[in-house]
Amino acid sequence: MSDRDLENRFQGLPTTVREKIDAVIDDAKIALKLRVAELLADKEEMAEHAVTSAGRVGAKSGEVSELTAIMPLKPGGAEKLRKFFGLVGGNLAGAGQVGTLHNMRFVFLDDDTKLLFATAYDGEWDPYIDDFATKIPEFMDYLFGNVEGWPGIQSPDVKDFIVQYQLPAEAWFVAHPTLTVAGANRLKRLDRTVQNFLTELN
Amino acid sequence: MDLFRRLTKQPTLELDDIQAAVLRARPEPYFGTHAILEITDAAAGRELLRRLAPRITSAARWDEPVPAWTVVAISYPGLEALGVSEESLASFPANFRAGMAARAERLRDTGPNAPHHWEFPFGTGRAHLAVSVYAESKEAWQEAVDGYQRELAQVAGVDLLSHQDFGATGFNVFGYRDGFTQPAVEGSGAETMPGDGRPIKPGEFVLGYPSETGRPLPMPSPSVLGRNGTYVVFRKYHSHVAAFNRFLHGNADTAEERELLAAKLVGRWRSGAPLALSPDRDDPALGEDPRRQNHFKYAEDPRGLRTPLGSHIRRMNPRDSKLEILSDLRIRRLIRRSTSYGDAVPDSEVRDDGSSRGLDFIALSARAIDTVEFLQSEWVNSGNFAGLDKEKDPLISNQDKGAYFTVPGTPPRRVQGIQSFNTLLGGEYLFMPSLSAIAWLSQEPTA
Ligand code: HEM
Repeated sequence: MSDRDLENRFQGLPTTVREKIDAVIDDAKIALKLRVAELLADKEEMAEHAVTSAGRVGAKSGEVSELTAIMPLKPGGAEKLRKFFGLVGGNLAGAGQVGTLHNMRFVFLDDDTKLLFATAYDGEWDPYIDDFATKIPEFMDYLFGNVEGWPGIQSPDVKDFIVQYQLPAEAWFVAHPTLTVAGANRLKRLDRTVQNFLTELN
Repeated sequence: MDLFRRLTKQPTLELDDIQAAVLRARPEPYFGTHAILEITDAAAGRELLRRLAPRITSAARWDEPVPAWTVVAISYPGLEALGVSEESLASFPANFRAGMAARAERLRDTGPNAPHHWEFPFGTGRAHLAVSVYAESKEAWQEAVDGYQRELAQVAGVDLLSHQDFGATGFNVFGYRDGFTQPAVEGSGAETMPGDGRPIKPGEFVLGYPSETGRPLPMPSPSVLGRNGTYVVFRKYHSHVAAFNRFLHGNADTAEERELLAAKLVGRWRSGAPLALSPDRDDPALGEDPRRQNHFKYAEDPRGLRTPLGSHIRRMNPRDSKLEILSDLRIRRLIRRSTSYGDAVPDSEVRDDGSSRGLDFIALSARAIDTVEFLQSEWVNSGNFAGLDKEKDPLISNQDKGAYFTVPGTPPRRVQGIQSFNTLLGGEYLFMPSLSAIAWLSQEPTA
């Protein structure tokens, strides 16, 4: 499509949308402006992926929240953690038992002086901190004990400690915002049943 | 029904310093009053506590019936109004300090349950002191209420904001036997009942003792204020019994089918008999037998064919059910001292008579506030933890349009038209101090 056609399509969109686009990304190519404008004009799509806030810090889309934290490491902390991650081959399969974690990653920054911890999880994290504190305290303290000032998972200050290092995401996209980990497990079970049924049928 | 557990072991808790309500069972029948007071003058507030102190019963010999007992609990604004030091005030947990109304989002108290609909004095910050009387007889109740009122009349500077009488036979306004399932508290001296499992660590229910973490939970300072105290969550509900009956009539044709559906919603027949032990028909003798009524688990019923995964009691205490989310059930138990008010409605009545009736949900534990916030957001107003997606508690949630309840089976039955059968009229977070803390609070603060 020529720039002129794109421009015509752009002009066909609601004024309120065009004004917003012009105010913020007036310098962008018309192709980009049109794409963004069409997205903003699609109320249903925007509503499905609406971004709200997850507890005190962090973004949430539907049921799925993000937590991003950059925390200072104790001297030698990165080395200890790296050994541990090496032992399991970077595979944190056991984390599945938590039941709310879609994914998580650990990244060392700034010459191994800092730890980036990022995760996508269902709902809010702080209601479950008390469960971590009695169910998997050793694991939590082993991992995060390498962070400078870690108060311990059973400390009443642990929530404030985490929040203090949390960085809110400025943008957040989730393909299936209403699908929790538990919901996905349920769909997998359902699918297995349907597949078995089909196999038996034929 | 034989409500009292027997005291068969040597208690290790300091029972004579702990308030009676922590361990004393609600009698049957029961009578009583919840009064809410505002302290407009700190010295007067302290004076009232001094006068009430001798009337406040301890948990010593909690197994022996007494005619009546009086309980006192204090909200955060109440502690402020008493002139408690800044340092002490700051040692209380953040959600207690914020108060129940401010925690509405976390509690999912939205729509008709939102604080701006609440009845006075809840959520105004003026509910400072809660004085409750529990009694075995009308006479003992009147005597205890008169006693507290005489003290109140003697002090200027503490005002009565609300006075609510309660009472029932042990069955609530929906006709269910209630309030009998209680956690076994280590150190209380109580005999263990079949189904209790390992008693829960005392620090889960009383501050200052080892909790399930192995250590005492954080407690307010100084230690005379915190130790032997606990937290109380008070939530007053209005019950829409006629709407509940309409729901049953609309979804079941015979009286038997209605009773089965009513049992599926709660997980127990109205008699108290658990579906887990009596899935097809009611068994009133089982319902009132303290040695059998909780002698069950859920693991052998993973699909909820007997006790639906979404029923009230399976949600509120999933026992050994396999949950989708890592959870420690031992830190989510509550001592419940709920009371019913207003009269029960027969199950044939489908028209609302407009009367005031319902239940004051009263939960005690060293983490009662965290626990109720957790229950409300994770186990009441969501079904995710049990693989039920967005389905909510059939009895106490704030239901959305188009809500349903699933009765597992082959095929499962999806019962439509479920509504919010209980509306929140208000509530408060309270601290229930020990007897020595009450004495301490009634002294003029030094410094
Ligand atoms: C109007 C409101 C309510 C009604 C009519 C109601 C009714 C009942 C009934 C009939 C039982 C079975 C009796 C028993 O096992 O003791 C029960 C148990 C229970 N309820 Fe409620 N309830 C209400 C509110 C609540 C609330 C707000 C919570 C917590 C947030 C709650 C938590 C529990 C718990 C923990 C149990 C014991 C479950 C067990 O250990 O097996 N209830 N309730």
